[in-house]
Amino acid sequence: MTKAEKWVPYFFLAPALLLIVFFRLLPAFSGFLESLYATSFAAGGVKTFVGLRNFQDVFADPVGLQSIWVTLRFNLIVNPLQIGLALLLALLVNQALRGIDFFRSIYLLPIAISLNVTAIIWGLVLNQYGLMNGLLRVLGLPAQPFLQSPNQALWSIIMMASWVGVAYWALFILAGLQGIPTELYEAAEIDGTGVMQRFMHITLPLLRKVLVFVLVADTVANFLLFVPVLILTSGGPQLSTNTLMFEAYRRGFIFGDFGTSSAMIMLLLGATLAIVAIEFWLLRTSD
Amino acid sequence: MTTTVVTRTKTEQEARNLRRRRRLAELLHKLLSYVLLVSILAIVVVPLMWAVAASFTPNEQVFKYVFPFSWRALFPSDPTLEAYVNLFEQRDFGRAIVNTLALSFGSVLIGLLISAMAGFAFAKFEFRGKNLLFVIVLITFMIPVEVIIIPLYILMRDWGWINTWYGLFIPGLANGLVIFMFRQFFADIPQEILDAARVDGASWPRILFQLIIPISLPAIISGALILFLGSWNSFFWPLVVAPAPEFRVVQVAVSLAVQSRQTIWNELMAGAILAAIVPVLLVFPFQRYYVRSIASTGIK
Repeated sequence: MTKAEKWVPYFFLAPALLLIVFFRLLPAFSGFLESLYATSFAAGGVKTFVGLRNFQDVFADPVGLQSIWVTLRFNLIVNPLQIGLALLLALLVNQALRGIDFFRSIYLLPIAISLNVTAIIWGLVLNQYGLMNGLLRVLGLPAQPFLQSPNQALWSIIMMASWVGVAYWALFILAGLQGIPTELYEAAEIDGTGVMQRFMHITLPLLRKVLVFVLVADTVANFLLFVPVLILTSGGPQLSTNTLMFEAYRRGFIFGDFGTSSAMIMLLLGATLAIVAIEFWLLRTSD
Repeated sequence: MTTTVVTRTKTEQEARNLRRRRRLAELLHKLLSYVLLVSILAIVVVPLMWAVAASFTPNEQVFKYVFPFSWRALFPSDPTLEAYVNLFEQRDFGRAIVNTLALSFGSVLIGLLISAMAGFAFAKFEFRGKNLLFVIVLITFMIPVEVIIIPLYILMRDWGWINTWYGLFIPGLANGLVIFMFRQFFADIPQEILDAARVDGASWPRILFQLIIPISLPAIISGALILFLGSWNSFFWPLVVAPAPEFRVVQVAVSLAVQSRQTIWNELMAGAILAAIVPVLLVFPFQRYYVRSIASTGIK
């Protein structure tokens, strides 16, 4: 390679890197700085360095603590639920059945639709007189408050998020399943192994890489989930769906408290990274 | 002799029983699979069918056949275009659609160019900092824009990009997923082709644009689809950076309707259908490309 050649890859990368630096890394860095400062509007927007006080405030404030609890509860339910169902769905549509392509294409529908439109449609489905209560009525069951109840609102968001998420993550798992050579199953069948044994000893180990990816990506997506909360509940009723992500938005955009808002975002990113690391460690390959 | 005949028929009988039992098990398995497939189909389709039906129903009747549920809720009994007409005549939906189409096509064209160039650099060159840069690209695409929305908003305000096409358009152009996908695709193109072109004296940009791009149609279709869906479906960023009505995009127009017109159900549903129909119609014919590109990011 000549000396001029050395610059060729940087030339090709330049536009993408400039965009990432200016519109992703720079804001992320200034968000980090913001989390260490307090802005006083009384003093005309003067910023004072406060160290970790914004972080202490998050934990000292009952609303902040509550939002951490909501985030943990939401994620402990939604991630295993989505991935378990996605695995089952992928196994179901991986079978050689007549018309399976038709079912697979229809299952893509929720993925193509934007999250805010999905939330709007589910808002009406879960309305007091909506589709869900109409169906419950036909089954002779009492109507439920869903999004109006502090006990059911978080579950309603879990349901809505899974309507999209299960189909989406199943797509990755299905691709993984299709990459497993069928000869492995044939050989195991000749050896007289059962369905469960084949699943445990062939399918799961060979899906490991895909499952790690799905688990990590799903955790990140759900820790930072925002739009459905904004549209369906705005964190209510009684803060029962007020995730840390949503509380950060309320603090920043509605109350203008950028310092605490940024501290919350940093906590969220830190926790997400830690959980991703733990998931990788738990699923590490022995080789 | 008679005993051997008897044992043979006995084993034949057993074998036949075993085969019959296995066929029965297979049949049951198939039946159960179809029951599950159809149930999931209903979970996916029924809410959407209801949304479509409600958008063609006069507003007073939207909940009429839903509570308690009857089949008529999914098929409007006296269909009307009232909701759609209102959206275009009173709510300026026409402008929102034109804005969104302009934004989406622009993002596809420029986004493809930027991502293909970056993917090419990662696939075919060795350079200092390559791995670090690639990790940065991968991480940035996993972090949704909502996370950095406040500092990004402040940046836009400082640059005077609020309520401008720049603010709406430029920050969303870099897409790590598309860069990653192009890298995977280009990596499979044999190095000899590039070397031969180099020997013939072709410049690197010429190799990318006249040699590589023309043989990369599948990657381009996948990339275009991801970029189009990304900008057609983007909601929170346009809401924050360009709140003025003349920059309204479809997703924002629909979502603002939730707050301002809570009881005009049929218009709400008509807006939702308009916002959803374009990506749905695009994903269906090209689903092979879409699925393959999405899935490849998980496997490799």
